Amino acid sequence: MTARFVAGRLLQVVPTVLAIVIIGFLLTRLAPGDPVLALAGEHGDAAYYAFMRERFGLDQSLPRQLAIYLRQVASGDLGFSYVYGRDTMHVILERVPATILLTGTALLSSLLVAIPLGAIAAARPHGARDVGISTLALGLYSTPAFWVGQLAILGLSLKLGIFPVQGMTSAGGDSTGVLRAWDVARHLALPALVLASQEIAVLVRVTRSSLLDELPRDHIRTARAKGLGEARTLVRHALPRAMLPIVTIVGARIGHLIAGASIVEIIFGWPGMGRLLLASLQSRDTPILLGIFLVVSLTVVLVNLLSDLAYAALDPRIRVR
Amino acid sequence: MYDRTGHRRRFSGPLVLLLVWGGAACASDRFARDPATLVAAIAGDPGQLNPAITTNGGVHTAAGLLYDGLLALDDSLRPSPALAVRWDVEDGGARYRFHLRRGVQWHDGAPFSSADVVFTFEQMLLRYHARTRASMASSLVSVSAVDDSTVLFTFRRPYAPLLQQLDVSEAPILPAHLYAGRDPLRNPVNVAPVGTGPFRFVSYTPHSEIRYAVNDRYFRGPSALKAVVLRIIPDEDTQVAALEAGEVDWLFTVPGPARRRLARDSRVRLVRSALSAGGSNCITTLGFNLERPWFRDLRVRKAIAHAVNRPQFVERVLFGEGRAADAPISSGIAFAHASDIAVPAYDTVEAARLLEAAGWRRTGAGPRIARGVAGVVDGTPFTIGFKAMPSQIAYGDLLRAQLHGVGIDLRPEPLEQAVFAASVFTARDFDTAIGAYCNGTDPEIGVRRMYVTSSIAPVPFSNMAGYRSAEMDSLFDRAGASIALPERRRLYHDIQALAVRDQPYVWLVETSNLRAYSTRCHGFSVSSHFAATAACTK
Amino acid sequence: MLRRPSGRIGVAFVAVALGMAIVGPLLAPYDPFAITGGSLASPSVAHAMGTDSLGRDVLSAVLFGARTSLLVACAVSAIALVCGIAIGATAGYRGGYIDAALMRTTELFQVIPRFFFAVVVIALFGPGLDRIILVLGFTSWPSLARVVRGEVIAMRDLDFVRAAVAMGAPAGHIVRRQLLPNLMPTVIVTLGLLFGQVLLLEATLGFLGLGDPGAISWGMLAAQAQGFLRVAWWLALFPGLAITITVLGVNLLADAYAAALGGE
Repeated sequence: MTARFVAGRLLQVVPTVLAIVIIGFLLTRLAPGDPVLALAGEHGDAAYYAFMRERFGLDQSLPRQLAIYLRQVASGDLGFSYVYGRDTMHVILERVPATILLTGTALLSSLLVAIPLGAIAAARPHGARDVGISTLALGLYSTPAFWVGQLAILGLSLKLGIFPVQGMTSAGGDSTGVLRAWDVARHLALPALVLASQEIAVLVRVTRSSLLDELPRDHIRTARAKGLGEARTLVRHALPRAMLPIVTIVGARIGHLIAGASIVEIIFGWPGMGRLLLASLQSRDTPILLGIFLVVSLTVVLVNLLSDLAYAALDPRIRVR
Repeated sequence: MYDRTGHRRRFSGPLVLLLVWGGAACASDRFARDPATLVAAIAGDPGQLNPAITTNGGVHTAAGLLYDGLLALDDSLRPSPALAVRWDVEDGGARYRFHLRRGVQWHDGAPFSSADVVFTFEQMLLRYHARTRASMASSLVSVSAVDDSTVLFTFRRPYAPLLQQLDVSEAPILPAHLYAGRDPLRNPVNVAPVGTGPFRFVSYTPHSEIRYAVNDRYFRGPSALKAVVLRIIPDEDTQVAALEAGEVDWLFTVPGPARRRLARDSRVRLVRSALSAGGSNCITTLGFNLERPWFRDLRVRKAIAHAVNRPQFVERVLFGEGRAADAPISSGIAFAHASDIAVPAYDTVEAARLLEAAGWRRTGAGPRIARGVAGVVDGTPFTIGFKAMPSQIAYGDLLRAQLHGVGIDLRPEPLEQAVFAASVFTARDFDTAIGAYCNGTDPEIGVRRMYVTSSIAPVPFSNMAGYRSAEMDSLFDRAGASIALPERRRLYHDIQALAVRDQPYVWLVETSNLRAYSTRCHGFSVSSHFAATAACTK
Repeated sequence: MLRRPSGRIGVAFVAVALGMAIVGPLLAPYDPFAITGGSLASPSVAHAMGTDSLGRDVLSAVLFGARTSLLVACAVSAIALVCGIAIGATAGYRGGYIDAALMRTTELFQVIPRFFFAVVVIALFGPGLDRIILVLGFTSWPSLARVVRGEVIAMRDLDFVRAAVAMGAPAGHIVRRQLLPNLMPTVIVTLGLLFGQVLLLEATLGFLGLGDPGAISWGMLAAQAQGFLRVAWWLALFPGLAITITVLGVNLLADAYAAALGGE
């Protein structure tokens, strides 16, 4: 994977990013009502709006407005949230770590569970295990995340009392260090489980189908002919190459995963971006909503880029080029 | 990673995971609780901690412990000394002289003086606090500092309710030396506040918690509690769960469904009050837009008032926490509440009769059709809109069911706060709308604004119906100018009789606040200083 | 397809869902907006799915809610189908610059996170079924377009296509008459999966309160359950169950059809 390849991919990303920002810009200008409300929220007074109008250049021609907007986004200025009294970027960024913690944990967990399950299913297609696993996966894939969350709270938190009901830390907890990490982990368990369940469904199916594509291949038959056990063949020879589509899938699913994380956060009161989304929806804090949209979109682009690069790094076929 | 038993190894991933999750779940729930720290739950992040620039209940609840008012209201609403130790009412109630307590210090050590009182009123309360502005601003001539420890309020004419409006939940006093010369709305001190109150600010983690520590130099003496933590838990059910689990000691609200369960729980005590930081003695009121042709006919308004089953609102929307409103002024204002005025009773037969007489005919199963209604085209179905903020949309759902029975099709529309205010009060684009009008502890504070012509303005929670009556205006002027209780009582009685006669609103329910606390603590009060006299044991 | 158990279950579930949408309101025992029972009553003979906090029947609400969700999902799928075929077929058949340009556009729309985009659009433009349908419709076509393009590319060098070109048939004719019928089966499978995704997305938007306020939707019902989880489990169970059964049915059907196509 040469530097030229990387540079090429990076260059491809630029028009996409530009297009996304322009879409955000167009949305605020096309929406009914005064664009300043979309950029500065609905709670200001006349002086504040005049100030914001000037800051975003709303009195100028559309192309000039676009240029100003692009420059601001590039410098990290996503507007000012009147509700929170702070820059939109700061408000969003301080929520991002919690969301990353939840999403990362869920993703890792789902990989750890889905890959073995997919392998088991692919080992004996249409066998009892396969049917069971595939049906479970399809079932999980068909359930809305909020329902899984509500059922989980009903069954595991309220009825059985195994997990705490909400939040990131115990309300009375003043703990620091290891105790606090433990507290957070306890609260993270159920939301991450719920979020992972959706991803597990997808990843199991992908693993299974890409393994089924791999298994008929020559090198697998060679391995079998050499007398290696079925399990070892699967794991050592088929699995690594079958993982490649997983990398792409993770990239393609990241937007969906973050959306799922938002819902799970709302249900479990996890203090991340999802809760911010709901609060901003209810208070019509449009600068925050737009900011979240931009941040998530750019994250998706970034993750796709990384997964493309990872795929290229891992796939010997591309490396040869 | 791989060994002879490759098959089994593949399970290790999920197994490890299961162990970690299981371990996390089973870990002990109880972290040691410091007996001198009180943990209370609040539902929303206040955003900032300056209650003089907003009537937002969340801010008042969160910041009440930090400040004091000139006076305090005891549990029976009588004024008692706080930052002011003595006061003289002069000129028949047109002048109030307050003698301030000496030796009071702000949390940062600076001395408190009359300059702080003058500054807070002039630069913050009279400008940004809706209730202060609506009630005082028109008749107040000046607030002035006679000397370092004397403040004089001068009014154009006698102003009776002043002493009811000076406690910390209505008029907290803020430090002039930190706010002078800067825009109070954007002053960073708003998130790192300094007050004179029983607790001082320690830290504010947005959307997580607010921490206070005891003010050792408080003029009433330091509280028994060493620290107070306000945890932001948006979900009310979770708050209850936290209370039951011992993680939280005090709740400001109790959701309806949990009430019965908590009442039976011996570790929890419930206390009810009509006072609250966001406004006291609140009546949830349905307002008619009197400019709409269908509501110009008094019979239609009366019919709707008859069609409404108020106890059902108390039962289904409030889960028993509250009472049906039986007069335009809340029963919490004892001297003014009129218990003998006949508010329209629940009578669907009478409602139907009135609607028929007004020209709205029943034709089959759908809504009534207009036949000869002034300003309405014949054949128009009786379909009206209803606007409410999302937290109150349940009123609309219930109202829809009740009005359906008399042939009116009500369409509830939830609107976020800012849009609701703009739509109902600024654009006046609504048929009916609902709002919680908090009467306050004196009708001048929260009732006048609903009925006087001068209060028809693009300001949230002003005269929603657009009611105009010279007779009503003059009654309120006389009631506000008098300080003789019997005379005021008589005038407010006439006001209520007139309001019921003209029916610009339907007064639905009086809401009250239920608070819950753990029995490990005691000594709470229902004022903004809820924890000032509290103490907890292990 | 119907020979497999998954196909049969899928058909059954989809039939239930369609039944709810088409005749549900007629079969509903009560008016979903009327107060017909006690507050928060657990499931009983009178109220098979219990009542909500105001005393309204949950079963009737679920039956009425089917229409909204299925209407949105169908409309969005239709838009996605039309756009997807148009763009995918054009890109696949023409190739060259047009292909590259259309594919870049498709990538862009694929990257935009649908959920957050819908949230912003609805927040700016206001709620309403038409907004939801348009927003979801115009962001859901990329996967279909990709599939169509892939199939067209695979087919365009086949003999029967070459023959048609040689005979001078116009491109549109070739695409419509020769290619489309052959790629429909794959498209249907993809469309099926898309349908399920859109239904879930619509329910989620309803859960956040972004649905049409005048219409009952399953997501909205689920949102109302949040405040009463401890005392009324039925409020959370049934709307979510309805959604799951519908989506599962569609997914099972799509899977069974795909398997039947693949000749497994």
